[in-house]
Amino acid sequence: MLETSTHPLSDIDLADVDNFNGGMPHEWFTRLRKEAPVFWQDEPNGPGFWNVTKYSDLISVSRQPNLFSSWRGGTNVFELGKAELEGSRLLMLNMDPPQHAKYRRLVSKGFTPKRIEMLIAHIGELAKTIVDDVAERGECDFVDAVAARLPMETICEMIGVPDSDRRHVYDLSNKLIGFDDPDFQDNRDEAPEAMAEMFGYADKLAAERRKRPQDDLATALLNAEVDGERLTATEFNSFFMLLALAGNETTRTVTAQGMRLMIENSDARRRVLDDMRLLPTAVEEILRYNPAVVHFRRTATADTEIRGQRIREGEKVLIWYPSANRDEEVFANPQAFDVTRNPNEHLAFGIGEHFCLGANLARLQLNTIFRELLSRLPDMEFAGPVRRLRSNFIDGIKEMPVRFTPESRRPRRPS
Amino acid sequence: MRIVVDYDLCEANAKCMKACPEIFEVDEDDNLIVKSETFEASLQSKVEAAVRACPRQAIKIAKD
Repeated sequence: MLETSTHPLSDIDLADVDNFNGGMPHEWFTRLRKEAPVFWQDEPNGPGFWNVTKYSDLISVSRQPNLFSSWRGGTNVFELGKAELEGSRLLMLNMDPPQHAKYRRLVSKGFTPKRIEMLIAHIGELAKTIVDDVAERGECDFVDAVAARLPMETICEMIGVPDSDRRHVYDLSNKLIGFDDPDFQDNRDEAPEAMAEMFGYADKLAAERRKRPQDDLATALLNAEVDGERLTATEFNSFFMLLALAGNETTRTVTAQGMRLMIENSDARRRVLDDMRLLPTAVEEILRYNPAVVHFRRTATADTEIRGQRIREGEKVLIWYPSANRDEEVFANPQAFDVTRNPNEHLAFGIGEHFCLGANLARLQLNTIFRELLSRLPDMEFAGPVRRLRSNFIDGIKEMPVRFTPESRRPRRPS
Repeated sequence: MRIVVDYDLCEANAKCMKACPEIFEVDEDDNLIVKSETFEASLQSKVEAAVRACPRQAIKIAKD
């Protein structure tokens, strides 16, 4: 046994984003799950926050959305001004029941397993085209040329964003999520500007769809009613922004993290190549190992407790997905990347009221792109350093140069 | 023991049907049908698995 229990926990600092630059601080999470599963973190520019690191506690917090509110203080750790907080509450992400259910219902029918099944052929074609476009180049930036494309094409198509505008929407979504990364914006003050641009675009799309309705989510939202009322322009725009953000960043992140894991774990990649029936469990293991969302914030609406720890009304609680996904009480050998792991009840998509609306879609996209990539470009390797997003909110990769044997020069695998 | 479903939460993910097809069925129109609100003791562990498997945590076993 390591003598970790004698160490104080004072070296742990989950508030400093730079402590995530080398990847998730799993050594800290492991100690916290064992020694302080509900851990208080001071922060320099705020009141401090509680950290929930155990699997069962993350479920328990998620199952009580009115006690651990997304609405009261938003879902990000930093404190918002009054106007910003009001604005953030137009996003489903930052609503509580019963309001949350009313808005979610407007789009949830578009994401059920049966509806997503109808996209199998189309997403297959998109994935094929994406790999076609790089297959003869022998090298590319994996994030920009591969990982970013399928989610962007898919969610934009579902919403109704035409081809020519997709890049613009994608760039705006980067600015909105990369709030701690100087490559995307100098500081958080740029977010309102990107948001205004995103809203401006949504206004244009709404006007277009009012004239010419289509079979897409934009048209469905324009026709939708909550309590007998149509959505306001701001509500429509917020919906648009959330779908664009949540649909882009997360799947891109998991695609890039998944390829990184496949390159770093050549034995795992070989096992999947030898038996592609392992792909679905491999995808679930990627999701467990590097979930896109690192934490969400909740705010206690009453005095309560978690695992015996007193939490006071108004205090912030962060739930940490990468930690829950490596909880020793749930997963055998949790630090091992095991593409055959089954069962694998990870929490990469969350659970309960805010369970990821796009989970079925994401699973389809990930399985489809990895089937295409692994079978056609099986010797992909790093061609330069992997550059991570500076963030303790999204486990993103900004740039991942890769090289591989061009497809036409590869001997065909006997099938 | 009685099965209670919160239909405001249910989004037809059909995980319950996989865990316990004897009780849960998601039909062609994505409606969840609970074939029987009560169940035999022999199904207890399968129903509990269905409760756990629901990503929306929409199923409860009520003790009444």
